[in-house]
Order: sequence, then C-alpha cells, then structure tokens
Amino acid sequence: MKCDKFIEALSQRVKVLEVTRQYQDQVTALVELKDLPEAVRFLYYDIGGYLSTMIANDERQMNKHYALYYALSIEGGKMFEGDEIDQDEKCFITVKVLISPDTLTFPSVSTLVPAAVWYEREAYDMFGLKAEGLPDKRRLVLSDDWPEDLFPLRKDAMDYRHHPDMVNHNKEPEYKFHKPEGSGIIEVPLGPLHITSDEPGHFRLFCDGDKIIDADYRLFYQHRGMEKLAENRMNYDQMGYLAERVCGICGYAHSIACIESAEKAVNLEVPARAQAIRIICLEIERLHSHLLNIGLACEVTGNYTAFMHIFKIREYSMKLAELVTGGRKTYGNVVMGGLRRDMTGSEIKKSLEILETIETQVIEVWEAVMSDKRQIKRWTGIGILDKQVARDFSAVGPNARGSGIKRDTRYDHPYDFFKKLEFEVAVAHGCDVLSRETVRYMELKSSISIIRQCFQLMPQTEIFIEPELTVKPESYALAYDEAPRGENVHWIMQGSAQKIYRWRCRAATYNNWPSLRYQFKGNSIADAALIVCSLDPCFSCTDRVTVVDVNSKKSKILTNKDLKNFSRTEKNSPLKDLRC
Amino acid sequence: MLKLLDMSKKYGQTTHKYPFEPYILADNFRGKPSYNFDWCIGCAACGIACPSNAITIQLNDDKSKLIWEFDCGRCIFCGRCDEVCPTDAIKLSNEFELAVNFDKTALIQRGELDTQYCSQCNKAFSTKRLVNYSYECLSKANIGEKRLLEAKSYLNICQTCKENATGLNLTSGEEMVIE
Repeated sequence: MKCDKFIEALSQRVKVLEVTRQYQDQVTALVELKDLPEAVRFLYYDIGGYLSTMIANDERQMNKHYALYYALSIEGGKMFEGDEIDQDEKCFITVKVLISPDTLTFPSVSTLVPAAVWYEREAYDMFGLKAEGLPDKRRLVLSDDWPEDLFPLRKDAMDYRHHPDMVNHNKEPEYKFHKPEGSGIIEVPLGPLHITSDEPGHFRLFCDGDKIIDADYRLFYQHRGMEKLAENRMNYDQMGYLAERVCGICGYAHSIACIESAEKAVNLEVPARAQAIRIICLEIERLHSHLLNIGLACEVTGNYTAFMHIFKIREYSMKLAELVTGGRKTYGNVVMGGLRRDMTGSEIKKSLEILETIETQVIEVWEAVMSDKRQIKRWTGIGILDKQVARDFSAVGPNARGSGIKRDTRYDHPYDFFKKLEFEVAVAHGCDVLSRETVRYMELKSSISIIRQCFQLMPQTEIFIEPELTVKPESYALAYDEAPRGENVHWIMQGSAQKIYRWRCRAATYNNWPSLRYQFKGNSIADAALIVCSLDPCFSCTDRVTVVDVNSKKSKILTNKDLKNFSRTEKNSPLKDLRC
Repeated sequence: MLKLLDMSKKYGQTTHKYPFEPYILADNFRGKPSYNFDWCIGCAACGIACPSNAITIQLNDDKSKLIWEFDCGRCIFCGRCDEVCPTDAIKLSNEFELAVNFDKTALIQRGELDTQYCSQCNKAFSTKRLVNYSYECLSKANIGEKRLLEAKSYLNICQTCKENATGLNLTSGEEMVIE
C-alpha cells in the first residue's frame, strides 16, 4: 500500500505508537510528544514533504486529551532536478500527538521546520496549547484585546454567538512588531484598511530611505469564526455554501475541498460526470482569478491600458461562469455525493466559443504587455522569493512555482478527473514578480486546455449519487485542491448526528504570508504594493498610509493618490521631507 | 504600449450601456427567488432546505395564520428552495437589481396562509391549502372511493392525535380489519 515505505522509515527514526489509514493515500502516525519535532523534521526535510496543514483539536470527549495533527504532503523536496518522489508513491502523512489537558504544552516544531510557525501561533489562540521553544509567541488570529483565558475552539469554551466585550480603545494592548535594530530606520505602517487586500491587513515596513530592510505584519482583522459556526450550527448540506464564502475570488475551490473531505471521510466516490464538471468550474475560477491578478499587477505599476484590456477579457470568463453555473461568482452547485446542476449540450457549445475568444485575446494582450520594456522593468528582480525560503515555509501556488518549485496539487495528488487529463505544470525560475505573472499566464493557457479536454471527455453518467448516511464519528480525512493561489486543504472530523466535530480550513495564502517578509527585503517602498499584489491576496479596498519617522517623531499621512502615484512613476518620493 | 492601443482599435468599444439598456443574462441565471402566493401550500419544505435561514415559516400569535417570510438580505441564491418546492411556487428569477433605499423592510416578502385546525383537539397543525393539496394528490392516486372518504377525515387530524389513536387501537385488544 501507499505510504507504508515512509511509515517504515519514520518508525526507524522515532517510536511510532499507532498507524491508522484514512484513505488510500492518507495515513496518520501517532508519536510520542517528545518525538514530535524530530518526526515532522524527518518527514519534511529527509523524506521530502511540505507542510500542508496543522490541525489542533479538542478531543477531551473522546480520549481526554488535546490532539495535534501535522499533515505533510509527501512529494519530494523538489529543490533540484530529480528531487521528487515517484508519482504513484506521493501521499499525505499526518503526524499526530496527544497533549494532556494538565500541561497544555508541546515542543515547538517551528525551530526545525519554519513552515509551522503560523499554525503553532494559532494553536495557542484557539486552544491555549503552548508551543515550547516557539520564537514568536504573539497572537495571530484573535485580536489583542481578546480575554486571556478564553479559547474559542475548545468545546466547552463558549457559544458560537457569544462575543466578549471589547476593551476600551485606550486600554487595548499594543501589538509588538518585530523591529530591526539600527538608527535612521523609518517605520511605514500600511493598513489595516489598505492598498492591496480585501481582507484588511496591517503591514509595518521598516525602511532606510526608500529601501525596505524588514517587514512585519498583523492580519486576521476580519476573523469570522467560520470553523466554530460550522461545528455548532451547520449540517453537511449547509457547509458547502459556507465554505464557498471563505474567499471572495476562489470560493469554489474551498467548497470543493470542504465537501470532498466530508466525502473522503466516508469513502464516497462521486460519479465521473460530476468530477468533470467540478474540474471545469475550478478552472473557470482560475481563469478569472489569474486575469484579475495579472490585470492588477499592471494597474499597480500604472499600466492602465493593459489593466482595462485584461479586465475586458476577464468579463468573458465571468460570463462563462454565469452560463454554466447560473452565477458569476458563487457557483453553489456542490453537494455531498455530486453536483446539483448539470451542463446541457448547448451550454457546452457556447462555452467553447467563449473559450476561443478568451484564448486568442489572452495571448494577444500578454504579447502586448511583454513587448513593453518599461512594464518588464518594473516586474523583473522585484520581490525575490528565494527558492530555499519557499521550501522552508511551504509556499504554494504561483508563488512557489515562480521560484522554480514544481508544486501543483493537480499534478502531485491528482484529484477527481485530473487522473485522465494531460497538462503541463507551469514553472518559472526567476523568483520575482515577472516569474509569478508568467506562471499565471501559462496557467491561463493550460486551464483553457483543461476545460476543453473535460468537454471532450465529458462522461455520460449521473451527476449525483445519494450518499450513504453512515456517519462514522471520529473518522477524519483531508481534501485538497489547487485553487488559483495554490493548494487549499480542508480537514474534517465527523461528529455524531449529521454534524462535524472539527473543520479546519486552510486557504492557500495562509502558507504564503509567512514568507512575504523575505520578499519585501531589499525592495523600494514603491514596490511594496506590487509585491503584495504578486502574492495574490484579494486586491480591492484602497485606503491610505500613515508614515511615522521614529527618530524625528514626524508623521505624515499619505493618501492613496500619493502612494499610487509614487508606485507608478517612482518619482517625487512622498517621504523625502521625512528623511533624517 | 502601441500594441495595446492597436488592440483597442481592433475591438472597438466593448462597454455595455447598462443601466440605460437592459443587461443580458444567461438563461439559467440564479437571481432573486420569486414567490407565487397563489401556488404556495405552506408545506415548509423551502424553509427546511434554506441553508442560510432566509426563509422562515411560523405560526402567528393567535395561530390563525401560517406566516411565510423571505428575507432577501439573507438569501445566498443557491436555489435549494426552487429545487424542493412541490408546487413551483418559488422559482429563481432573473432579477438581480436588489438594492433598497435604506429601508430594509423592502427586502422582506410575506405570505399569510390560513391554518387548519385538528378535528379532534382543535389545535392548529397545518394549512388549509396543504390539506387540500394532499387530498388532491390522493384522489389522483387511483385508490378506492371508500378509502378516499376515510382519507378526507384523517387528513384533518393532527399528528399527535393520530399517534394517540393508533396507540389506542393497537392496545385495545380488538383486531383491525384491513379491507
């Protein structure tokens, strides 16, 4: 069976207490608490895995302990040619540990595997589990004025509708940003209502002149408590719709991952036609998301003409979604056991026409953008994400592929219909914004070809099978898919009575944020917006920036216009009167 | 740069004149659910199916009416209500211009249906329309006239009374004759 080889290797390294299999390619190994960092490090670096997700869980009702699950995608390190595991041996291995409710501590993995840092910070916020040796112990998800002793995802903590009283604005504890040492450093706060992201995020850029020497950020201003809500109130039929609303752009990828993890937990295989249509919808989503991002990467650098052209093409992809699903953004057709809506022959015919238009125009506009030397100059060498950094932090999606790592869930762990399709993984080696945008362009073309193949091979089967409602409490499974920004991983543990016990939803960008700091370093603040954009968080609200000079205590508020202007022209720095 | 300008020339104007001309939607666009009160039987299937609780069905205070209420502000346009409605009273329309002018009550649609009282205990348990609908379905189901007459009487009995009666029958010691 798959995975056995790796479990064998692991058990020679550390003591494996118990091995359980969840799905053909998913195995969980229970290890002792003290062996946890070594077990994860061994699988990550020695065998060649990437950290897909980490789940903390309150299992006191089952075994009187808290549990941690480090899920690793075993696919090879991919740092050089041939550093990859055989296609039919790729799998997911989960390292599980139990934590006693008396001590509530576990040895930190982050010191050995940096990719785990956010997950371990979150484990404290949500469950009060302390990682011993974790270098960064600040809060991650919850606000700084959240009550010290309230851990919302513990089963006995609170009702999902409860909202603790807010602390008076003046008494709110200060979030400590990691500042670099040295004099003459200007601190530039961006956000929380800002520039690049839909979800408000606060960036603190530390600059020497215009050059960013370090950065720190605070996110999760809009934590919505979806996991708690789903555990308490939702049944499986409702969850798909909730998951679709996790993201404003790639929501469908979330709803697929969420529903598939529930399906995998009961070993249910959906009909082939439903699989094909799921893939089509996912690829349509990739079309509009990548067009959005390439368009915005042009807009941030002031290339409005290209931006408008690309958004014109994007409108075709929105029309395509409307045609085959009935909605431009929320497709709302996933249910456990298949799909709710079929595609008709005339819809397929029309879709092929629209695809034709998109393909010709995408190629045309990309060639036009690429022939513009000034545009290329703004993208080249900016926001370098070193290959090793991407490896250490388990970067996903175009972010990793732009740094030469051939990581694509569609290729590594082909799900659904992908086993029958042919496509090339787009990889670029420049590590900069240009490489990431090139990857997106190549993926646009491969997405179009994937949709065409799906239409050609469209199986004539049912689109829905009634799921057997044999709920197996405490069984769990991972499901994954390649969203436009990278791999989305959902993990569901089933509870009794049509409800889930724990749902862990990990969006692609969650794995990309921690390495953003390294991408900022060494760039000019004029490129800060571009770098955040190339990471592809949703780009919509634009606001203003406050600039504070630490030494002279001077401060200045930059309007959106100032910053954008500087971003476009790179002239007349708005900071020049603040420099020491 | 010039290539981009060439593209503009090639494709000309692509902007729609919307809102000055209608926006053309796909045939199966999922817009605001439209409610046809005349066909509604108050079976509450939509209320149970609705994942976001946009549709609620409740008895009013004096239990004389069953109130069907749809709050468009909560609707996620999934179309589950459309799928489960037995009489096509609720259908997704093409309507997408749903903004209201500071008046959130404009988002709410209501229907009031007369309730049916139980012939035994006189409690409100269903709507008159649902009872009629069930009777119509039975009369089309090719069953004997005598059974149909029986059905007419037991359709007017609430669930609790039926359960009690069944219990009483089973424990009375008399044999039941099924014709």
